[in-house]
Amino acid sequence: MASVLHKLITPLISGPPEPPRNKVTVVGVGQVGMACAVSILLRELADELALVDVVEDKLKGEMMDLQHGSLFLKTPKIVADKDYSVTANSRIVVVTAGVRQQEGESRLNLVQRNVNIFKHIIPQIVRYSPDCIIIVVSNPVDVLTYVTWKLSGLPMHRVIGSGTNLDSARFRFLMADKLGIHSSSFNGWILGEHGDTSVPVWSGTNVAGVNLQTLNPNIGTDFDEENWKETHKMVLDSDVDKLFPKFSFKYPHVSLISLATLRWNRQSLCMFLYQQGMYGIGDEVYLSLPCVLNSGGVASVVNMTLTDEEVAQLQGSASTLWDIQKDLRDI
Amino acid sequence: MSTQEKLISHVMKEEPVGCRNKVTVVGVGMVGMASAISVLLKDLCDELALVDVMEDKLKGEAMDLQHGALFLKTHKIVADKDYSVTANSKVVVVTAGARQQEGESRLNLVQRNVNIFKFIIPNIVKYSPNCILLVVSNPVDILTYVAWKLSGFPRHRVIGSGTNLDSARFRHLMGEKFHLHPSSCHGWIVGEHGDSSVAVWSGVNIAGVSLQTLNPNMGADGDSENWKELHKKVVDGAYEVIKLKGYTSWAIGMSVADLVESIVKNLHKVHPVSTLVQGMHGVKDEVFLSIPCVLGNSGLTDVIHMTLKPEEEKQLLLHTYHELVNQLLPLFHLSSSQCLSSSHFSTRCWFLLFASTVTLPDFFLVCFPDLRFALAPASTSVFVSFDGHQICR
Repeated sequence: MASVLHKLITPLISGPPEPPRNKVTVVGVGQVGMACAVSILLRELADELALVDVVEDKLKGEMMDLQHGSLFLKTPKIVADKDYSVTANSRIVVVTAGVRQQEGESRLNLVQRNVNIFKHIIPQIVRYSPDCIIIVVSNPVDVLTYVTWKLSGLPMHRVIGSGTNLDSARFRFLMADKLGIHSSSFNGWILGEHGDTSVPVWSGTNVAGVNLQTLNPNIGTDFDEENWKETHKMVLDSDVDKLFPKFSFKYPHVSLISLATLRWNRQSLCMFLYQQGMYGIGDEVYLSLPCVLNSGGVASVVNMTLTDEEVAQLQGSASTLWDIQKDLRDI
Repeated sequence: MSTQEKLISHVMKEEPVGCRNKVTVVGVGMVGMASAISVLLKDLCDELALVDVMEDKLKGEAMDLQHGALFLKTHKIVADKDYSVTANSKVVVVTAGARQQEGESRLNLVQRNVNIFKFIIPNIVKYSPNCILLVVSNPVDILTYVAWKLSGFPRHRVIGSGTNLDSARFRHLMGEKFHLHPSSCHGWIVGEHGDSSVAVWSGVNIAGVSLQTLNPNMGADGDSENWKELHKKVVDGAYEVIKLKGYTSWAIGMSVADLVESIVKNLHKVHPVSTLVQGMHGVKDEVFLSIPCVLGNSGLTDVIHMTLKPEEEKQLLLHTYHELVNQLLPLFHLSSSQCLSSSHFSTRCWFLLFASTVTLPDFFLVCFPDLRFALAPASTSVFVSFDGHQICR
């Protein structure tokens, strides 16, 4: 190999190779982690991708499978290891690792188990990439984003949870589908807790600036003849894991693409944000709000005009979350 | 008036045009879904259809993709067990079939998958009579032949994903050795996708510089740099990934999207894919193998005549015997499990010894260099082929 290489190529510069400029790490190579990894690769967002997990065989297999496609990609370096040193100098670290809820298990117990895992993961991430932005995807995402923030010691604008980004995407798809338009042409936000108590902001739903609530003042209420509330219910019910428990699905986190893309653009997105002090919430909790993301993380928050009822819902979510968080040990 | 009516007025009087670049993926297993997501993320189609027999999984996968609609440029994603959902497809990617188990060779998958294709292919043709079939299921070369026969399509509309992935793996490994991007490393793997693929060493080059000119032993056994090992790693690559994670998906999915892109965008790009090689390189029978072909929106329109060294051509031919034999076996109502042994006689022909069946005592199936064949009792020592060739055992 050496002699053909030497005959063929004459190096002009010597010294160590340049460090990566846009390195992304994905922690956890399960269905969600790999869907994130593939989406990031196919969107050409990173110049280096690192994968970490504890299951060594699967990790190596997934890495090789991605590397075999390197001809079709623009990410020249794909690495993987159990050891976190492979994640050094990452700009963004996506955390998808975590255990699944067992049947009959309480939410608190699930969270405590995941806290124990995160206690191993988060400090290592921060050790090797002290300037990174962490995006938490593992569920329950609102609580785990809080846990990550606590364990990492990073400023709150650099710890983000994927939050209701997916709920909002589903909402926009379902609403747009009913109207016969593309999802991106329908604007609507779902805020708050990712899950059953998420808050659809009906007052903000619009197409081409035409506010739907102005056309239909009952929209989203129980008095609505057209029953638009059903669409939000469909978003809650469309957690496909609940629908088809035999199979695990992965592509919802195609939403992660948008997240990563928006790193460099100042665009609004629904992310989790540390919410103490907003909307009258006194507890240290993470809930989803529209945030402007840029290369430094969360740059700013959009102040939404919410009805009293919507604010009450957010406050309710906050206390539910705090009830769980206050009992967590070791963070 | 409903909210929708207040908001939107429909002004077009004619019927909507419908899809122009529809892609169907048959089979929503790992490979099918990897292909689907690669096609979607590369914005290649305006409609995607998924088909499978497992209804729950199918519906779940479709919903999962639809929920990502905000981040995609494919407006319509549909799925159904019924093939009517695939109507008017431009390209149909067939990934359905049994999966290669650890240690199982691709050729062992044949019979299982032939039966599945007998259901799938006619259904595809019924609803998309003008589509281009892209066969991915393994063993891909044989199943492309089967798809061609079952569909009745002209040969330019039946393509096998072939050695597109093997070549990609080779170029990736080459890239690692030279610290270059794979797209700057040129090397073609042709022939059978898998164990018997042929690395065309004479064509391996970087920036037009033929590496075999720099290292005349390249690919041979005496090669001090052991380039042959690189090819072996390509062949073993798939098996290794299967051993580690249970299956391969991402690389083949991206390879499929690469081919679909050339077809849908009419790129006239050259890819090593599986096509009918009858009449080329000394092959006389209807065999599908990978050679460099031009892909565009009509399908596989042209083939490239490779300048193969005599040894390379012989290797290509040699491995077609395996192909042909396995295609022939069903015709003789034989299965490869009945084959007791095979041997290779003086590079001129193959002998396969079959155990006795109800109707025949132990016998030989002999394949000649020009791919003609003969049957003879095991006791025979001289064989005469159908056209009078004599071979002594």
